[in-house]
Amino acid sequence: MRDVAFGQYYPAQSFVHKCDPRTKILFLIVYIAAIFTAKNFYGLAACAAVFVLVMAFSRVPVRSVLRSVKAIIFLLVFTAVLNLFFYSGETVLVKWGFLKITKEGIFYTIFLAVRLFLLVMGSAILTLTTTPVSLTDGLESLLYPLKLVRFPVHELALIMSIALRFIPILTDETGRIINAQKARGADFETGGLIRRIKAIIPVLIPLLISAFRRADELGDAMDARCYSGSKVRTKYKKLTFTWRDFLTFFIGAALLAGVILLRVYLPQII
Amino acid sequence: MRRSPPEISGNRGDRLKGMYEIFRKETSRILKSGKNEIMEAIKFEKVNFSYGGEEKDSFALRDVSFAVEEGEFVAVLGHNGSGKSTLARLVDGLLSPSEGKISVLGLDAAEGKNTFEIRKNVGIVFQNPDNQTVASIVEDDIAFGPENIGIPREEIGRRISFALDAVGMSEFRHSTPSRLSGGQKQRIAIAGVLALKPKIMILDESTAMLDPRGRKEVTDVVLKLNREEKITVLLITHFPEEAMLADRAIVMNRGEIVMQGKPAEILCREDELETFNLTLPRPVQICRDLRKRGLPIEDVLTPEALGEELFGALEERRKRVSPSEVPLSENEKAGLPAEDASFSKTAETAALSTEAGEREGKSDDSVGRIDCRNLSYIYNAGSPFASQALNGVDLTIGSGEFFGIIGHTGSGKSTFVQHLNALIKLPTAEKKYKPKKLKKGEVPPPLVKLTVDGYDLTDKKTDFRELRSKVGMVFQYPEYQLFAETVFADVAFGLKNFSKEEPKEEEVKQAVRDALETVGLDYEEIKNRSPFELSGGQKRRVAIAGVIVTKPEILVLDEPAAGLDPLGKREIMQLLHKIHKDWCKTVIIVSHDMDEISENCSRAAVFSDGKVIASARPSELFLSPDRLTALGLDVPFTAKVTEFLAGKGIKISSDFTCRDFVEKVCGYAGIAGGEAHA
Repeated sequence: MRDVAFGQYYPAQSFVHKCDPRTKILFLIVYIAAIFTAKNFYGLAACAAVFVLVMAFSRVPVRSVLRSVKAIIFLLVFTAVLNLFFYSGETVLVKWGFLKITKEGIFYTIFLAVRLFLLVMGSAILTLTTTPVSLTDGLESLLYPLKLVRFPVHELALIMSIALRFIPILTDETGRIINAQKARGADFETGGLIRRIKAIIPVLIPLLISAFRRADELGDAMDARCYSGSKVRTKYKKLTFTWRDFLTFFIGAALLAGVILLRVYLPQII
Repeated sequence: MRRSPPEISGNRGDRLKGMYEIFRKETSRILKSGKNEIMEAIKFEKVNFSYGGEEKDSFALRDVSFAVEEGEFVAVLGHNGSGKSTLARLVDGLLSPSEGKISVLGLDAAEGKNTFEIRKNVGIVFQNPDNQTVASIVEDDIAFGPENIGIPREEIGRRISFALDAVGMSEFRHSTPSRLSGGQKQRIAIAGVLALKPKIMILDESTAMLDPRGRKEVTDVVLKLNREEKITVLLITHFPEEAMLADRAIVMNRGEIVMQGKPAEILCREDELETFNLTLPRPVQICRDLRKRGLPIEDVLTPEALGEELFGALEERRKRVSPSEVPLSENEKAGLPAEDASFSKTAETAALSTEAGEREGKSDDSVGRIDCRNLSYIYNAGSPFASQALNGVDLTIGSGEFFGIIGHTGSGKSTFVQHLNALIKLPTAEKKYKPKKLKKGEVPPPLVKLTVDGYDLTDKKTDFRELRSKVGMVFQYPEYQLFAETVFADVAFGLKNFSKEEPKEEEVKQAVRDALETVGLDYEEIKNRSPFELSGGQKRRVAIAGVIVTKPEILVLDEPAAGLDPLGKREIMQLLHKIHKDWCKTVIIVSHDMDEISENCSRAAVFSDGKVIASARPSELFLSPDRLTALGLDVPFTAKVTEFLAGKGIKISSDFTCRDFVEKVCGYAGIAGGEAHA
């Protein structure tokens, strides 16, 4: 936990890891657009093919990617069941009261499930191959044009950077406080909901107080280091595109074009 | 001096550099034009500061006047709450004075337009290494300061290299701060400040939260910056040995500067130090005691100096007393093992511990006793982040001991301690545990044994709640776990948690009263106050009361004196002895302060790489300082002097407490115990 690698980041030296974070964010947007553009299985198959390609070049184990699906499995099943029984198709296969299963319903259900799968797993690849720090850098850089409309891009990026910096610190601190209260007989594991919520108070209050204290000290430290907003500020870190990024952009463009063609020239199922 | 913010353009770098040149020249011109020949980096004239109160008594600073010359190294001493940090914040313009004048490098700090210039030239390193970094990667964090003042990109890169090189952390440029040790983090904080190329550096108790190794790392860097880069240093500290590095020391008491002078001279003024809530440094105390017994010893502060003094005095005496009378026999009388007392004699230590128990006359078999064999622990077992924290710990702590645990950060001591009250449970004690069947030919793993206060911690049937009420655990900075609205409620928290049925109100009241009075607080006065409005020392006492309220047999404290001023440290140790005497059978302290260990503990164990590599009485443990220093650990002051003298052929065998050391030196010199020889 005590690392930049908190969250999901899977450390490796792959093509995808080495890509510029901006490229990866943009590619994900294109990929998602392609998924939603696809109206038939051919389009989805193209997306899936690109997904497999990216995954192969990311050297992230399949297990890690699948883990991200676990979080949405309930949603997946829930929507699948709804669609299966309530989709108004024509070719009825089974009928039971007001519930019926149609051939179109089955297709539609599968289609949506695959779409959701690809969506979630694609996003997972981004967070698995990009550290939160470079993700922040990438976002800041991409949002830079918004400065023109007085959007506080720099402030937002700084907030994110500080949040990232303090997540491991506060996680450790939480662990320490929990241990200290456990040693004083606090019980976090048994009892009903209300009891458990009550049990958190002795952890939450010291944690909040500590967070405020830290914020205060950090504010002083930042002031002392001449922080005065974004007026005269320069930026040390500069992101640069390489051949990898151009190749990725090309693949992205090809995918989107391909999916659009497939949508136009092949039958749509939705 | 008026400067508009630089525009974003290609030649921005050159323009900025130009401006800095102008600024530098201007500052030095202003400084030179002053009447004084000596340049003053910091100057306070009759400064008053109040955080709100109108009363003069409540002022954080009162009539403070002093000056620091350029290139000077000044230490600021004073008890907690004496106004040291306020002073630092005033210099940097983080606070502005209620009255009086502050000038920094010739600039008037009261003028708002100077604030930025002053901050650029004054770097502050604060106490908590975690609360000063803004980025998750070292170089990004160091870039923060230069970015703020608009330094161009290429120059920032150079400054990062310079700053990291100056603090000796170049190889960590792309690391993440949370992975670094405390000392390393503070060096990064220093680098972050250095990247602004300040002329003045203020360290506001920057070493208070570090272990001895980290402290040395930081002070070495600061000393180097002062000598080589000619940076003016204002070092706020509680450690006399750090103050000794300075050219000059300033002592503060309740918002006033009460002493100024050479550190070595100031630290020897016993009466004044006591008046100002400070303590006489241990070395000086030893000198005084020796002098009282008739040895002509000057007050000195370093082990080498005391060694020299002692050597001189003892030689002098030897010349006067006829050679045959020189009582070398004192050594033999003491009957202590010499250098060959080896590390890790488990059999012997086991024997020792029972002996210790009997000596205290409390040997009730299991109560307050800890038996540990083959204890191992791996964090994140089975994942790529797995790390072995304990690797076969064997340790026995006898009932009635005042035991010390030492070892550098990451040696496994915290992990071990957390096993003692089952905050970390052994796998065999987990509810789901099922014994594995051994394959043919497989060697069964070594039998793990962990018995604490008669509870078998390897057994899942053990009542772990009851165990926790019998093994009190006070973590580092325990005041950070306070949470309730009143002191009473906070102290009663543990008591209510542990009692099986709702405890009677009277009993709770009595127990809380006892606990609070034991830690030296006035029950009636404090019970209804909020724990958050107390002073640091009081908070810590309340936190300790909240642990001992269940009357544990064993009390474990992790760095109980960390972050306190010298007086607070002394009081806490006295308190622990009181608790040991009439409250808890066994007291265990984890500490980096070897003087604390040698002065207070009956025995101590040294952890390294997840093992106990030695466990013995301090008298044996500190006999060979090299072995401890090789592990990055310190040794007590007395051990350093003893080693120095041994190198000169004088053997003093003491148990390394100051008292015994003085006794044995006098014995060596042929001075009978008791009254002083004039």
